[in-house]
Amino acid sequence: MNILKATGLRARTLSELRDGIAAVSDESIFHHTYQYFLKGHILEHTNDFAHWAGESIEERALAEHLSNIDVYDFRNIGELRKELLRVIDGYLEGFPTPREAIAGNEFYFNETKILTFPIGLKAENLAEFLIAVKYIDAGSLYYHFYEARVRLGGGVDDFSAWIDRVLGKHGLAQKISSIDPFMHNIEGIREHIVEAVEEEVKKDMEVID
Amino acid sequence: MIHQYSGISPKGDLLLLQKLGEKLENKSFLHINSTKAGGGVAEILQRMIPILSDLGVDAKWEIITGDDRFFDITKKIHNALQGNPEVITESMWEYHFDVNKRNAELMDLDADAVLIHDPQPAPLIEFRKGGRWIWRCHIDVSNPVQEVCEYLKRYCEKYDAAIFSVAKFARAMAVDEFIITPSIDPLSEKNRELSDEEIQETTERLKIPVDRPIILQVSRFDRFKDPLGVIKAYRTVKKYNDCILVLAGSPATDDPEGEVVLNEVREYAENDPDVHILLLPPFSDKDINALQRISSVILQKSLKEGFGLTVSEAMWKGKPVIGGATGGIPLQIVHGVTGFLVHSVEGAAYRIRQYLNNPEMALRMGEKGREYVRNNFLITRQIRDYLSVWYSIEHKEKAILEL
Repeated sequence: MNILKATGLRARTLSELRDGIAAVSDESIFHHTYQYFLKGHILEHTNDFAHWAGESIEERALAEHLSNIDVYDFRNIGELRKELLRVIDGYLEGFPTPREAIAGNEFYFNETKILTFPIGLKAENLAEFLIAVKYIDAGSLYYHFYEARVRLGGGVDDFSAWIDRVLGKHGLAQKISSIDPFMHNIEGIREHIVEAVEEEVKKDMEVID
Repeated sequence: MIHQYSGISPKGDLLLLQKLGEKLENKSFLHINSTKAGGGVAEILQRMIPILSDLGVDAKWEIITGDDRFFDITKKIHNALQGNPEVITESMWEYHFDVNKRNAELMDLDADAVLIHDPQPAPLIEFRKGGRWIWRCHIDVSNPVQEVCEYLKRYCEKYDAAIFSVAKFARAMAVDEFIITPSIDPLSEKNRELSDEEIQETTERLKIPVDRPIILQVSRFDRFKDPLGVIKAYRTVKKYNDCILVLAGSPATDDPEGEVVLNEVREYAENDPDVHILLLPPFSDKDINALQRISSVILQKSLKEGFGLTVSEAMWKGKPVIGGATGGIPLQIVHGVTGFLVHSVEGAAYRIRQYLNNPEMALRMGEKGREYVRNNFLITRQIRDYLSVWYSIEHKEKAILEL
């Protein structure tokens, strides 16, 4: 679970957004990129910067460039920050100066404090895991499917890591880890995991005479 | 108390509340505002204090008192923070401070955490005895009168943290600033489930026909809520779909313009028998609840808005909503997902027609809206956030807190 904090920094123009990205804390960059999927619904974009570029200053091409950045390709926030700046600088050089956002639609840089806590559920086998995945809150799914990629490093989610390491089901682990994290909202991710696990559980239960 | 929210609030919120309650057990949490009844702050505190106590926190609530001059000054400060041109003289600020000083002498300010609501009691920070002090701003301060804002900042920056409702309301200040959106209580009279008989009692008493789709806006009669724009939109819709418009609001005793606007609205409606203008007495929560539940489409077509919690109230009842893209409304309405945001009368009319002609879409969006409110705008989430802020101030050095 996260508590939102304002940094007090805002951007009205693309140049101001650029300078903001260069100056804000790692926590703020993390919030506007990795935590985008915590919002629970997918819009046109994959991070807050792309969303603002597309919706508030209506720079569609820039929004596309920014949306295409795969945040899990980077080893740390510093590298991701550099890539964001590279894309924006390239855009500022090649295109006419974008318009200002209208009052109230500025970009507000925020960051979060993260609170983690055990939800008191444990799964010892795949059937228990299936029930748990259906039951847990969206925040818990986010923590294990999205946040884990950064926490554990190497872009691996908790679910496929556990299924692979503890249950030894490499095929299922592979199936879950290949769900595109950018193309679904959290409920969509839940559906895909449930579908894959259900199929595996059924397969395990089948008796061949 | 808290168990009443099982099956309503998200499980994770309830679990986290329980864990935070264990961590903060028997610690004192003092809330101070300037009114016991009336207004959103008092309304939510009345519900929040018993829940906090139930969680094991020693929750207390104090009210500062003052005379007419004091409240006249604080009303001016409030208006100035919202951007109205007001001049607060040095002697007015001094009086503001003096009244707070007198209150501080009468109050027990000794608590582990103190949450001061809005500018009226803000100077109490000068009389802090210990504990964590947090200033909670419920006002839209995105475009304030600078001098007033700067003066108040002297007090705010002495707190351990400040809390705003929306990120764009936050100011650049030398203090940690958290964002906590307001909330509705699903168990209150305004939001609880109603029986068919209760709903019927309201519609019959208020003489609202239920044979055609009802378009509803609940708001004060205030130009910023654009009641004339709502009537215009209804007239456009009426050419295509037979429907009824209900504009329901309570008289605001502190707003002399209210009656003028109400008369304008009545005049503009031209005795149309399908336009129902209802002036409900204060605390008509059950009637508002019933009106929302019989409506087909609910509008909050504001031109300027604080947070606009009536939108969440409507969404909680699974209703398709249309809101002006202003203040906190875009935080509640994800355009095209949990409702529609509009920028004009024409936009409002078009979206009403879309809903009336696509009942399945209206139902789907209404359901999404209800889930969105469940996850983001219920009172349990707001209490969770307050306790989390307090807990995070206690452990300031850590970015990730494990409970």
